[in-house]
Amino acid sequence: MKPSLSLVLISIASILILLLSPMLGLDAQVNAEIKHRIMTEIRIPRVLFAFVAGSGLALCGMVFQAMFHNPLATPFTLGVASGASLGAALYVSLGLSFSFLGINGTSFAAFSGALLAISIVYGISRFRQGFSTETLLLTGVAISFFFSSLILFTQYLSNVTDSFRILRWLMGELSIVGYGDLMQLLPFVTLCVAIIIWLSRELNLLMAGDDIAISRGVAVKQVRYILFFSTSMCVGAIVALCGPIGFIGMMVPHICRLIVGTDHRWLIPASLMFGGGFLVVCDTIARLIIAPAEIPVGVITTLLGGPFFLWLLIRSRSKTA
Amino acid sequence: MSLLIQSHDLSLSIGNKTLLNNISFEVNKGDYLCIVGPNGAGKSSLLKLLMGILPISEGNLLLNNKLVSAYSQKQLAQLISYVPQSSGRQLPFSVAEFVKMARYPFHSALSDWQPADQQALENAFDITDTGQFSSRQMSTLSGGECQRVMIAAALCQQSPILLLDEPTSFLDPHHQVEVHRLIRTLNQQHQITIIEVSHDLNHASQHSKQILALKGGETLWLGQADKFLEAKRLHALYDQDFIFLDHPQTGAKIALPDEQL
Repeated sequence: MKPSLSLVLISIASILILLLSPMLGLDAQVNAEIKHRIMTEIRIPRVLFAFVAGSGLALCGMVFQAMFHNPLATPFTLGVASGASLGAALYVSLGLSFSFLGINGTSFAAFSGALLAISIVYGISRFRQGFSTETLLLTGVAISFFFSSLILFTQYLSNVTDSFRILRWLMGELSIVGYGDLMQLLPFVTLCVAIIIWLSRELNLLMAGDDIAISRGVAVKQVRYILFFSTSMCVGAIVALCGPIGFIGMMVPHICRLIVGTDHRWLIPASLMFGGGFLVVCDTIARLIIAPAEIPVGVITTLLGGPFFLWLLIRSRSKTA
Repeated sequence: MSLLIQSHDLSLSIGNKTLLNNISFEVNKGDYLCIVGPNGAGKSSLLKLLMGILPISEGNLLLNNKLVSAYSQKQLAQLISYVPQSSGRQLPFSVAEFVKMARYPFHSALSDWQPADQQALENAFDITDTGQFSSRQMSTLSGGECQRVMIAAALCQQSPILLLDEPTSFLDPHHQVEVHRLIRTLNQQHQITIIEVSHDLNHASQHSKQILALKGGETLWLGQADKFLEAKRLHALYDQDFIFLDHPQTGAKIALPDEQL
C-alpha cells in the first residue's frame, strides 16, 4: 500500500476514535444538562489532552529510534522519562510552587530532570568511544533504576498526601478537568513537533548512520543537541502533567514504520495520528473497564507494551543471529 | 594542475592514543590517490578526517586553499562525497530513497526536488548502471550491486572529490574488477578526484596515480604509484616478503606474498 493511502487511513481511524470515545460510558439516566457539562468540561478536554500527549510521546520515541538506529531506544528506555519523573517528584515533595510565563513549575522541574538524564546517558556514550547501542540501552536502564530509587526515596520522605499524589501520578493518569492542562501541554508539544518536522530530512539521514549523514552534509552534533533538547522539553511537559505513560514511544513509531515505511516525511504524521489515537483508546479502556472507578492509563499501556518489548527483543536477536 | 587538497602535518589523537601523526600530502584536481597499509595503520581515520567525521587534532587541511574548518558541513559535502566501509545492505531504505538523500547539501528544509536533482539522480544511475534496482530495498541487493549503489549515491552528491574506503573488500573477483573499472571511469572520464583506501597492492600500483603508505599512523612512503612495488618497501610496510612477476597481459609488475617461511 502507498504510504499516502496508509497515512489517510490511520488519520481517519484516529479522528473517528477522537469523535467516538467521549460518548462511550455516558450514563443514559442522567439528564441532558449534566450530560452536556460532562461532555464539554470533562470528556472533550480529556480526550484532546490524551491525543496531544500520545502524539508527543510517539513522536519523541520515533526520534530516539531514528537517532540510535534501534527500535528499543526511546525516551523511556534511555531514562529520560524517569529523569523527568524525578524532577516532578522533587517539585511536589519539596513543596515548590512557581510558574513562569503562565507555565507550571512542575514542567520546568520535569524538563530539567529529563535533560539531566539524557546528558548523563549521552555523555557516557560519548566518553566511551566505540560504544554499542546495547551499552547505550543498558546505561539508560541503569539511569532509570537509579532515578526510580531516588523517586522512591523522595516519596518515602514526603507526607502522606504528597506521597499518594506522587504514587498516583507515577502510574500515569489522565484524570484532568477543564482545558487548563491542555493549554499547559499544547505549546511544548507543538514546538517539538514543528522542530522535528523541520528536521525530517536530517532524521532520514541519521537512520543511515552518523558517518553517512555527516558525509551528506548533516551537522550531526548540532542536530542531535537540538533533538535532545526538544524531545526532553516535550517528554518533560507530558510527564509533568500526566506521569510517565510508558511504551507508547516504542510501540507506535515501530508499528507506523511497518505500515508507512521509514521515510520521516510520512512517518512523522503517521506517528502523530497513531500515537494520539492509541492513547485515547487506552484511556477509554482505562476509564471503562472497572467503571465507575478508573485504572491509571499507564497500567494499560504498560500491559500492552511489555509483551511488545519482549517481541521486539526476540525478533531483533533472531535477525542479528 | 590545480591543487585541490593540501594536508600539512595532520594529526589525530583520541584520548591519549595517537592514531595519525604528521601526515602531509597534496592532491591535484583529477588525481587518484590510493592509501595503503596494514590493518590499524590509520587509513580509514584519514578518510574520516578529510570528510569531517573525525576532528583534526593538529595540523592544517586545506581544500581549494581554504581551511576545512572554515566550511560548513553542507559546503564540505558539496566538495567531497564518501563511500564508507560498512555494508549498505543494513540500511532500511529503497535504493531510490537512499540515492535521492544524497541531494541533501543542495536543499533547505523547504525546497522542492528540482530538475537539477533529477538530472543528478539519473546521471548517477546511468554511470553506475544501477537504475534497474531503483525500486528495490537496499537489504535485497547482492554485495556487488550494493557497492555500486553506494557509489551511485556518492555520485548523486555531484562533488568533485570522492573518498572510498576499501570499496572492493567484500566482493568476488568479478565484482572487484567491475568496481575498479567503474572507479577508473569516474576518474578518467568524469574528472572526479579519487582518494581510495585499498588492500589490493596490485590494483593500487596499476590504476592509481599516487600512493600514500601508512604504518602505525605515520607516513612510510608517498610517491608515484608505478614506483611503489619494491621488495624492501613492502617488507617494511607489512612485515612480509613479496615476490614480483610481470602480468602476462599488461606487462605490469605484480606483487605476490612470499609463501616460503
